[in-house]
Amino acid sequence: MTLLGDVARWFADPAHYQGSDAVQTRLLEHAAVSGLAVLTGLLVALPIGLYLGHTGRFGFIAVNVANIGRAIPSLAAIALAIPIAGTLLGVQNGLGFWPTFLALIPLAIPPILTNAYVAVRGVDRDVIEAGRGMGLGEAAVLRVIELPLALPLILAGIRTAAVNVVATATLGALVAFGGLGRYIVDGLALQEYDRLFAGALLVALLAIAVEVAFGTFERAAVSPGIRVQQGAL
Amino acid sequence: MTSTRGATLEFRDVSKRYGGQLAVDQLSFKVPAGRICILVGPSGSGKTTSLKMVNRLIEPTAGSILIDGRDVLREEPTALRRRIGYVIQQVGLFPHQTIAENVGTVPRLLGWPKARIAARTEQLLALVGLEPSRFAGRYPAQLSGGERQRVGVARALAAEPPVMLMDEPFGAVDPIVRDRLQNEFLRIQRDQGTTVLFVTHDIDEAIKLGDRVAVMRGGKLVQYAPPGELLAHPVNAFVAEFVGSDRGLKRLALLTVGGMDLDTNVARAAVSPNAPILSPASTLREALIRMLASEAQVGVVLDGQRYLGLLTLSKIGKMIRSDA
Amino acid sequence: MTEGEPLIRWDWIASHLDEFAFRLGEHVELTVIAVSVGFIIAFGLSLLILRAPRTEAPITWVTGTLYTIPSLALFALLIPYTGLTVLTAEIGLVSYTLLILLRNIVRGIRGVPAEVREAAVGMGYSPREILWRIELPLALAVIIAGVRLATISTIGLVTVTSLIGQGGFGFLILIGIQRFFTTELIVGAVLSVALAIVADALLVLLQRRLTPWTRAT
Repeated sequence: MTLLGDVARWFADPAHYQGSDAVQTRLLEHAAVSGLAVLTGLLVALPIGLYLGHTGRFGFIAVNVANIGRAIPSLAAIALAIPIAGTLLGVQNGLGFWPTFLALIPLAIPPILTNAYVAVRGVDRDVIEAGRGMGLGEAAVLRVIELPLALPLILAGIRTAAVNVVATATLGALVAFGGLGRYIVDGLALQEYDRLFAGALLVALLAIAVEVAFGTFERAAVSPGIRVQQGAL
Repeated sequence: MTSTRGATLEFRDVSKRYGGQLAVDQLSFKVPAGRICILVGPSGSGKTTSLKMVNRLIEPTAGSILIDGRDVLREEPTALRRRIGYVIQQVGLFPHQTIAENVGTVPRLLGWPKARIAARTEQLLALVGLEPSRFAGRYPAQLSGGERQRVGVARALAAEPPVMLMDEPFGAVDPIVRDRLQNEFLRIQRDQGTTVLFVTHDIDEAIKLGDRVAVMRGGKLVQYAPPGELLAHPVNAFVAEFVGSDRGLKRLALLTVGGMDLDTNVARAAVSPNAPILSPASTLREALIRMLASEAQVGVVLDGQRYLGLLTLSKIGKMIRSDA
Repeated sequence: MTEGEPLIRWDWIASHLDEFAFRLGEHVELTVIAVSVGFIIAFGLSLLILRAPRTEAPITWVTGTLYTIPSLALFALLIPYTGLTVLTAEIGLVSYTLLILLRNIVRGIRGVPAEVREAAVGMGYSPREILWRIELPLALAVIIAGVRLATISTIGLVTVTSLIGQGGFGFLILIGIQRFFTTELIVGAVLSVALAIVADALLVLLQRRLTPWTRAT
């Protein structure tokens, strides 16, 4: 019980809402690097996934990107980003924001790319043929038929990417980045369990909030026709 | 009801080659405007390939396909397809769109104003027997197989296409629903005057629906004739076998009592009171069944109240024999 | 990272092979315990879900939430209670395997064709025999696919446990980061990925051995 009391006092302490180590600053850092990484991953992975899914080409690669992505441990991704950021952007950028950002992008790409590919590929061929037969061009087939029908899976891919990225951004603290991982890493180093626990709680809540927010958005964005279809199956 | 005028459809030496395999071999035939032509044959005979070459979902290797004299190969495929109705067995309704949105697909592509699309959609749903107020806002998953197929037909007719392609449209519904859909299809087609190219592997469907039937085998056209002629004079053993050993009986379904040479020498009063009363419009098949059931062996043909004469079993027998 | 130093110092690698072997043992041990314990728990929960479908939603919710919590945060939440111990590491690692394993076991068994089950019932199999002789063998391919996913992700997560004093190859990565020594960091990362690939290949072989009928075509 004393720990939880300490944690509650930690949250109540106004000192933790001031300066560069303020909760809101750390939260913002965490959210910003995660958001930028997911956005960058989205810009790279979504067009490729949609294109591959629409044409049906290079399916083997599209599917295996996800497996490769899963095999790279998040700690290794962060670690490897240090020399990469150092080489690409100069040694002074080998720590902090850049390695964290660079390490998160390849974590965001696989689920988005693979889900987009699988989702578009999985659209009923008869529906697509009916569309082509009625005179929809390739771009219209993608926009009118494939995208709306693939949307639930595409959004699920973005959600997976976002949750992974938010989780791994915690490790950015190891390479001198801020974010909520700071509290955990510093709490561990200083053996301050209230700070450690508070940081862990914040990270966990952020990840769950991202998951829940995306889940809610997915349900709202999916056509009622598809919901009916799934309910009917 | 708007009445579209059908276009003529002509295949001229059309071939399709896949690698070394000829899927369609120098196919030539003409469908007059407003008529239903059925492509029939065993699987692998090239019928679906032929159909899909009309709207260029498959590109011919050689030859030309003309709609009202214009070669489809000279047109931009998407523009061409918007002028051709297309119905497939799996229907292919867009599951994320309502029935009304599905039916309005091609008019939307053509940029019709909203009010016109709405009016047309309502009209079409009524035409295919789906109460617009009940069905317009539903989704495909909420419909039965037969209802979905009706929507498929309505969607294909939306932009008043002069030609409609149908690939086994009634193949996936149960026999009772199929029969009803076939009858409604005939009514709608007469009403709209659309030229229809229709693929099936079911010879009974071909005979029931076709103005002309094209029998295909191995990519070649074996016989192209009206159904009655096909049944009466199959050109070879393959067609004879394909139309069935009961083709004489099938043919009776296409002939009417009114077209028969009736026996007028017997007075009405002399005929057994058990004899069934037949109208000139009934088919010989119906007549035969009723005559056999009555034990009278003859039927009394009345046009309204007017006595036209007697139909005898031997006359029907002669019709069947004349086929063989 | 120091200026002028090569990215990889091969002499350092050659002189530390003993340590790599030790870290390999540690990494494998942490992984095997986590996946085995996770599988036993997930199997029990799966049977519960299959027998009482009402339990599916709450069980999926709990395991899903555990899966969503970032690994470092989960370890950190446990430290005040279980300290910097193997137990802390394993509780976290096991938690992450549950959702993956559970989903595949349930999906695999539900995927058994109804007619196969019906034929078995018709021939007089008891419910227990149906589970062990029909459903589990037929679900094996899907179940092992889940074990593969769980193993790969556990091998990756083990590296994170280096922050709480465990970690196998993660230990090399962490020391590499702290000393700015790229050789050690890259070696740790590469060995961890290599271990994941090897483990995955072994499980594929295992699956082929156990389900010869899936290769019939």
